[in-house]
Amino acid sequence: MKMDIIEIKNLYKVYSGNAQPAVNNLSLTIEKGEIFGLLGPNGAGKTTIINILCGLRRFNSGELHICNYSVRDEIEKIKPLIGVVPQDIALYPSLTACENLKIFGGIYGLKKRDLNERMDELLNLFGLEKSKNRYLSKYSGGMKRRVNLIAGLLHRPQLLFLDEPTVGIDVQSRHVILDNLKEINKAGTTIVYTSHHLGEAERFCTAIALIDDGQIICQGEPKQLIAQNNVETLEELFLQKTDKKPRD
Amino acid sequence: MKIKALLYKDFLLLIRDRAGLAIMFLMPLALVMIMAYLQDSAFNTINESRVPLLLLNADRDSLGNAVEQNIVATNIFDVHTKIGNDSLTEATLERAVARGDYQIGVVIPQNTTKNIRRGVQMSILNAFNYTQEPITFDTLSIIVYIDPTTKTSFRATLTSAMREYATAIQSDFVNREIIATVNRIVAFPIGDIRINNNPVRILEQYAQLDESRIIPNSVQHNVPAWGMFAIFFIVISLSGNIIKEREDGSFTRLLTMPCPYWQYVLGKMITYLCVCLLQLTLMFIMGIYVLPLLGLPALALGHSWLALVLMSLSASLAAIGYGIIIGKISVSNQQAAIFGAISVVILAAVGGVWIPTFVMPQTMQTVSKLSPLNWGLSGFYDIFVRDGNWMSVLPESAALLLFFIVCTSVAVIYDKRKRDN
Repeated sequence: MKMDIIEIKNLYKVYSGNAQPAVNNLSLTIEKGEIFGLLGPNGAGKTTIINILCGLRRFNSGELHICNYSVRDEIEKIKPLIGVVPQDIALYPSLTACENLKIFGGIYGLKKRDLNERMDELLNLFGLEKSKNRYLSKYSGGMKRRVNLIAGLLHRPQLLFLDEPTVGIDVQSRHVILDNLKEINKAGTTIVYTSHHLGEAERFCTAIALIDDGQIICQGEPKQLIAQNNVETLEELFLQKTDKKPRD
Repeated sequence: MKIKALLYKDFLLLIRDRAGLAIMFLMPLALVMIMAYLQDSAFNTINESRVPLLLLNADRDSLGNAVEQNIVATNIFDVHTKIGNDSLTEATLERAVARGDYQIGVVIPQNTTKNIRRGVQMSILNAFNYTQEPITFDTLSIIVYIDPTTKTSFRATLTSAMREYATAIQSDFVNREIIATVNRIVAFPIGDIRINNNPVRILEQYAQLDESRIIPNSVQHNVPAWGMFAIFFIVISLSGNIIKEREDGSFTRLLTMPCPYWQYVLGKMITYLCVCLLQLTLMFIMGIYVLPLLGLPALALGHSWLALVLMSLSASLAAIGYGIIIGKISVSNQQAAIFGAISVVILAAVGGVWIPTFVMPQTMQTVSKLSPLNWGLSGFYDIFVRDGNWMSVLPESAALLLFFIVCTSVAVIYDKRKRDN
């Protein structure tokens, strides 16, 4: 039986000083086990939605639940269940990869032995075992992205938020990241993902929602949406639904 | 476990920031050493280095010669009576002092002795004749020229010293003249009036509470002063650390993790509290063991360990609170570093780290009471100079703790509101 891991009902968020809401009465459910893509042009509201779901931002109104816990009232119960991989490399550049991961694993409450085993497993998986004791400032962009991802996976989260995890990296690193994420998803982790790489999203996601002006324009499986709208690719569908005018 | 991970993080961030470590540890130690040494040297300049003095004794008689001999005998001055081979005049003396070749120039005018002698003789004769009319005779001044670059305080010291010698010599001279005049008049000559000690002496002694054995000196003043300055300089490292975490996104990541905000703040507080206490400990060790090697007096820590611990903790927490608020309010690392450094320097200057508050104008003395560095300094002086106990530092300690609470609360509320918007 399919279970919803995220339930959003009539989410409304307006930033102070702005007339236009960033998220406008948006409702959405994401099933457990999915790789769900939140896609949309710049300023569509994707990052705001993810920030609200992670407890980083307050919202004006609406009902939000993750794993049946209320985001408004029970965020501290939600935090151990989710992993967040921000768009920026949210790590300490003056520390080594190993030191960074020990800190984040420790904050997730992992015991020393479990943490070391998990670190070795993920560093191996993402090809960073040999360079784990190098300072992060000496890493390439792709390597930093991989450590950024590992930091969000250490505690085996039920739900993983990925905000543009492959931005600015080479094809090899992107493949390593996406292939491993698929494996992690198969092992039971639900993934919520944002990206501007629509080709990548088309291949990677099991479901997507196209968002613009804080509202969902269309939602479903990528292949199904492409067929329904008589287009060849997700990018065509994106342009058809959001128009070609550049966004701020 | 979580707090342990946070402490591990802040410890690693601290030790990897070498420039920050240098600012926090080396700079204050160097400052204490240099400032204590300089102040002590300045204090000893009069006694050891000897001030160059140019003397024109135009009197060439008893008083002039006595003044010259006494000035030479004091060893305070390096006395010169001519410039090269040229004979000295008042004009050449003044020019030489004005050029800065000599710090002080003394002119004993012609006929000074003769004038005083005449006055004394007339006074005595009048006394024997029971004449009530006061005697008036020409006043001749000993002129003291001072190098214009000489600081006011030093000038005051020099002129005061000169005045003291002149008065002593004058009274001695007058005594001798009285005896000589009397002996010329009376049938039975009298001997010299010999007084071994000055009948009236001024004894200088530091006021002390109870049975204090602490002697105030440059070390007792400088170590707490620069100690306060040093612990407040952690604001640069602490605020920089907070801003870096915000800028590189790791603070945002921490907020998505099961780590309460207070634990994040507590981690920083504990780390920097250790830094501040280590700074103070190093300063005290330097005062006790290193400064005496430079010929300075050793630091005496007072007799109340509880007062010392209380003041060290409250001063450190005040500095941490200030660092946190600067880190949270500043928009960039550069802004925090500039504002942090300048504001600490201003608070230190106003608070009496460089210049004692009692020599400041009344308005500045009032303003200085608003500086947390002044509260800290005042508390440490209570321990190091007045040998006070924990009760005597309670007001300063409470003020510093209140400052810490206000700064941290404002920083946390500001940060929360900013993120909520």
